[in-house]
Amino acid sequence: MSTFGYLFIKELKQFRANPFMPVVLVLLPVLLMLLVPLAANMEVKDVRLAIVDRDRSTLSGRLTDKISRSGFFVFTSYEDTYEAAMEELGKGNTDIILEIPAGMEADMGKGESVEIFIAANAVNNTKGSMGGGYLTSIVSDFSDEIMQSGGFASHQPLKIVPQFRYNPHLEYKLFMVPALMIVVIILVGGFFPTMSIVSEKESGTIEQMNVSPVRKRDFILSKVVFYGILGLFAFTLAILIAHFVYGLASHGGLIEIYVSAVIFLVFMGGFGLIISNYSETMLQAVFLMLFFVLIFMLMSGIFTPVSSMETWSQYVTYILPTRYFVNILRAVCLKGSHFADLTFDFVMLSVFAVVINAAAVITYKKQN
Amino acid sequence: MDSIVIHSLKKTYGKGQPPAVDIRGDLCISKGELFGIIGPDGAGKTTLFRMLATLVSPDSGTAVLEGYDVMADYRKIRTILGYMPGRFSLYSDLSVRENLEFFASVFGKDLESNYGLIENIYCRLKPFERRKAGKLSGGMKQKLALCCSLIHSPSILFLDEPTTGVDPSSRRELWENLAQLKASGMTIVVSTAYMDEACRCDRVGMMKSGRFLTVDSPERIISGFDRRLVSVKSDEMFRLLHDLRGIGDVDRCYTFGETHHLTLKPGSRMTVREIGSVLAGKYGHKGVSVAETDATLEDCYMNLEEKL
Repeated sequence: MSTFGYLFIKELKQFRANPFMPVVLVLLPVLLMLLVPLAANMEVKDVRLAIVDRDRSTLSGRLTDKISRSGFFVFTSYEDTYEAAMEELGKGNTDIILEIPAGMEADMGKGESVEIFIAANAVNNTKGSMGGGYLTSIVSDFSDEIMQSGGFASHQPLKIVPQFRYNPHLEYKLFMVPALMIVVIILVGGFFPTMSIVSEKESGTIEQMNVSPVRKRDFILSKVVFYGILGLFAFTLAILIAHFVYGLASHGGLIEIYVSAVIFLVFMGGFGLIISNYSETMLQAVFLMLFFVLIFMLMSGIFTPVSSMETWSQYVTYILPTRYFVNILRAVCLKGSHFADLTFDFVMLSVFAVVINAAAVITYKKQN
Repeated sequence: MDSIVIHSLKKTYGKGQPPAVDIRGDLCISKGELFGIIGPDGAGKTTLFRMLATLVSPDSGTAVLEGYDVMADYRKIRTILGYMPGRFSLYSDLSVRENLEFFASVFGKDLESNYGLIENIYCRLKPFERRKAGKLSGGMKQKLALCCSLIHSPSILFLDEPTTGVDPSSRRELWENLAQLKASGMTIVVSTAYMDEACRCDRVGMMKSGRFLTVDSPERIISGFDRRLVSVKSDEMFRLLHDLRGIGDVDRCYTFGETHHLTLKPGSRMTVREIGSVLAGKYGHKGVSVAETDATLEDCYMNLEEKL
C-alpha cells in the first residue's frame, strides 16, 4: 500500500474511534441549517401598531383598514391622546404610533394637505425602520388612492412599483441559507484538519512520524484530503437540507456549486495548515482560527451585504476568499448562474487557493 | 566498528541562552554497545537524542550513524533508527494492534515478518490487543512504545528515559529486553535518571549542562573515585545534614537513601570516630552511626557534578 493509503486509513480509523467527531460532523450542518434560518430572521412581521385616531371619520377608518389588510401590522391599542400611546411605546407594548390629526377628512375635502405623524421605536432597529417604511408607503399609497377617486389631479403621475428579482418575497431565509452552507464548510474544512494536526503536535505523535521515513507532504496531504472529503460530506448534507427544506438550488448548477466548494475546501485546508504551523497548542490554534474565521464570515458579505459596508471595508472584501465563494453560491442558487457568468469569482477563488497553499508549504518548511 | 560517531556537536535554542548541547571532542559508540546517558533534568539528554534522531539540526558539528550523516542522509537514518521519546507518543485513540500495524506499515514492513524481534515484549500485551492505547497502564504503554519502535528491526535504538514512571518489575523486564536486543547486535543508547540501571550499561556518559563530564564503563568510573566516602546516620537527619556541612574537613554532603553521604577534603586525616564524636559532642546528636563506605555510580555522579 502507498504511504498516502495507510496514512489515510489511519485518519479514518482515528476518526471512527472518536465517539464525538462523527456525531459533530452530522449534527453541525443539520442543526445549523435547520435552526439558524428560523431563529435569525430579519423579516419584519407583526409590527405592533398603536393608532391615535383624532379624526374618527370614514376616511380615517379606511386608512386603518388598509393598514390592517397589509398583513404587516397588529393593532395593539387605539388611544385617544398621543401621550397615552407614547406611554405604551415606552413600556415596550407597541413598536410604532400612527397619529391621524383631527379634521383630516374635512381638510382633505378642501384639498388641503394633511400631515400624518408616525413615531417608531428604534431600539429594535430593523423592526422600527422597516415597519416605519412599510407604514409610510401604505399611507402614501392611500393618499394617491383618494386623490384619484376624488378626481383631484394626482401629484404623483408616475408610480414606482418595486419588483424584487430572484428573491421576490425578500425572504431573508433565501439570503441566509447559502451563507450557512459556507459556514458549514469553513467549520468542517478549516477547523477539523487544523485540530487534527495540532493534536498530533500536542500528543507528540508528529515526532514519531518525523523520525520515520514518512514524508511530511504525504502526512499533510492525507489530512487535507481526508478532512476535505468530510467537508464535502457535510456540505452535501447542507445542500440537501437547502433543497428539500428551503427549496433552494432549484435552478440546477450543482457542478458550479461543487467545483467552487472543492476550490474553497482546498483554500481552507491550506489556511488551516498555516495556522497549525504557528500553533503549538490546541488553544492557540482555536483562537487564531476563530479570529480569521470571524473576519471571513462577518466582513465578506456572508451575513450583511457588501454594498452596505463602509467604502474602505468594501475594498477589504476583495482580499477575503469567502467574498467570491458567497458570490458564486448566491448567484448559482438564486439566479441559476453558470461558469461563464462567474469567471472572475472562480478565478479569484482559485488564485487564493493556490497562493495560500504555496504559503502553507513554505511556512511549513521553515518551521522544521 | 563504530555505529555512532559524534564530532563536537552543538545546539543553542534562542539567542543569549546557554547551549542546550555542547559536546566537545569525539564520542564513538561501537556496534552492539549498550550506552547509557545519565544526567539531571535539563542536562541536554533529550536535545542530544533529538539531534541524533534527525528531529533537530545541530548548529555546528557532525554526527554519523551507521555511516550516514544526520544532516545529509537524514532520510536513510530514519529507516534504520528506532526512537522512543520520553513521553508516550503513540495514537491513544487507536488500539494496541492498530498502532503496531500502523507503525509497521509506516516503515514499509508487515507485522508477521518482524514479529520475532518483539515477541518477548508483545506477549505481555497480547491480552489487551483490542484495547485503546490511551487506556493502557504506564508500564504497558511503555512496552507498546518499545514494540512500535522495534517493529522495523532498527540497527540503532534510542530510548529517552524509558523507565521514568514505570514500576520496578516492568523496569527490570525492560532491561532484560534490552540485554536480549543487544545480544542480537543492536546498538542501544538509553538515558536514565536511575543510577542502578546505568550500571547495566557497557559504558556510561555523565552529562551536565550539555557536556559529557566523563564517558567510561561503570566499573572504571567507580574505581576512579579518589575520595574518602563516609556514610552518616542519626536520629535527626535533617539537622544532621546542616551540621555536617559545618565541619571543616567535609567537602560535600548529600542525602543518599536513608543515610547521608559525605566526602572528605583531599588530604584530610579526620577519622570516622572523630566525626562521630564531633556530632555527638558539639552538636548533640543521638543515635549517631558513622562508617566508611564504597562509592557507587551515584556518588561518582554527585562529585563529578561538583568539579564542573
